[in-house]
Amino acid sequence: MTDAADNRNYALYETIVINVARLVFLAVFFAAWEYIARNRIVNPLFIGTPSEIGKFLWNGLFVEFSLIKDLYWTLGSTFLAFLIGSVAGIITGLMFITWPWFERFSDPLFSALNALPRIALAPLFLLWFGLGIWSKVALGASLTYFIVLSSAVAGIRSTNADHLTLSRTLGASQGQIFTRVTLPSAVPTIFSGLRLGLIYALLGVIGGEIIAAQHGLGQLLSYLAGSFQISGVFAVLFILAILGTGLIALMSRVEKWLLRWQ
Amino acid sequence: MSGQGQLATDATVKPEAGGHTQLAAGAPELGNVSIRDLNHRFGSSVHAAADVFLNFAPGEFVSIVGPSGCGKTTVLNLLAGLLPVQEGTISIFGSPPKAGRHDVAYMLARDCLFPWLTAAQNAEFGARIRHADRHKRQARARELLEAVGLKGFEDNYPKALSHGMRQRVALARTFCLDSPLLLMDEPFGALDAQTKMQLEDVLLSLWMKERRTVVFITHDLAEAITLSDRVVVMSARPGKIIADIRIELPRPRSVTDLQKDPEYHKIYSKVWEKLEVGLRS
Ligand SMILES: Nc1ncnc2c1ncn2[C@@H]1O[C@H](COP(=O)(O)OP(=O)(O)OP(=O)(O)O)[C@@H](O)[C@H]1O
Ligand SMILES: [Mg+2]
Repeated sequence: MTDAADNRNYALYETIVINVARLVFLAVFFAAWEYIARNRIVNPLFIGTPSEIGKFLWNGLFVEFSLIKDLYWTLGSTFLAFLIGSVAGIITGLMFITWPWFERFSDPLFSALNALPRIALAPLFLLWFGLGIWSKVALGASLTYFIVLSSAVAGIRSTNADHLTLSRTLGASQGQIFTRVTLPSAVPTIFSGLRLGLIYALLGVIGGEIIAAQHGLGQLLSYLAGSFQISGVFAVLFILAILGTGLIALMSRVEKWLLRWQ
Repeated sequence: MSGQGQLATDATVKPEAGGHTQLAAGAPELGNVSIRDLNHRFGSSVHAAADVFLNFAPGEFVSIVGPSGCGKTTVLNLLAGLLPVQEGTISIFGSPPKAGRHDVAYMLARDCLFPWLTAAQNAEFGARIRHADRHKRQARARELLEAVGLKGFEDNYPKALSHGMRQRVALARTFCLDSPLLLMDEPFGALDAQTKMQLEDVLLSLWMKERRTVVFITHDLAEAITLSDRVVVMSARPGKIIADIRIELPRPRSVTDLQKDPEYHKIYSKVWEKLEVGLRS
């Protein structure tokens, strides 16, 4: 009893110490950064200053809302890219499983497209879909698509043979087998593909925005870098890191709920 | 493939049409399950079932024992319609076997539970696939889970159940179907001796209530004798039937009491002799 309480106290104590240590480390790190930049030990043109970064974030997020607007564009494009890419990926995966000849027929084409560095398609997408969000959505979706496709195929193939035999002896219809056996078996594998697909959708969108865009964090990043506003660049990178972490955390929450049986 | 085998294979596709032409020869009574002159080969070298001839009366509990690889599972899968009949005829209540018939329930050696369904959902899975009334099947599943000793575990996922508990759920799922013929392939094969005895008791009590026809495959002679009305012994491949022994132990039986019953041991050594002959051949 007291042992357990001791252990719990100890664990709590440990978390507090670790968090305090982290804060101290960050404070020292930023103070050193500020000191180095202010005293021009390293030119602040290359590394910015933490106080400027803070000011930029404060302005962009709470005063002029410019960062919020760009965040909104980027998030919207990422969401669309993820949605289109993953739905198309899952549907193609289902087609591959339903018609094996289709998979065999299109395999070389898909392999070649998948091997192609997708960023190279950006100029083409810009030409086709214009400077607005759709060229970014296309780029993000093209990345998500292949990741989700291969995970969907792998997931559906991983269905336990015993489960299928049992369903056959029960007289299950094709539709019942699909919704009650194949699909739930595939969910864990599909989900790991979706999680990766979301990160790649963000990558594609940011990449597209850096190359050419009117809005979005990527566009802001390339503008700030081009005009030597290094503190602003760091501020955007900070936002992107938070954004990526947030998206992963969201996916993990959904996954945890869907796969609560695991 | 002989012409006769061809007929049986065709019949699998059209159960309604096939039934009577097959029955003309020996005319087993309707309501019976019968296997006549069954031969099954995998490739040219593996002769898994040889001249198998068996009848199962309604409500009879029949076990099939035999050395590993002799063709027990093959015979069961033929009954279940999972394999096409090559040679000979099988009649199940007057029509040829077909996977998915609602009058047949099949239980595998592995528990085969769906990890994403709770114990209760797994127990009603078969009935659900067969479109049984929702309230009835849910009530029945809960009743059966209680009968197999899993009251309080209805909402557990399989990951939170032990091996024996999972097999109990599988038993509940099988009995939740109202099929008059149950096919079981070594359902307790992977369990430890004690859990096995407990589950045999559970199976016996479930069966005693409804007296369905059971074809039970096992390699455990003690289990076969404990449970069955008849024990069928198969020889090593090619799997022929070398003994068909009626077990005259009174029912209801208790698995633990039987261990102390001299009559049981007498029967055991008698069947063992036959099995030994089978192993030697
Ligand atoms: N699908 C298959 N293809 C080829 N050979 C098979 C197939 N299924 C079974 N066999 C062969 O048929 C023979 C009988 O197999 P079966 O599974 O019926 O044996 P069993 O009596 O159930 O054995 P056990 O007690 O080990 O389960 C074995 O030699 C096996 O190798
Ligand atoms: Mg077997």
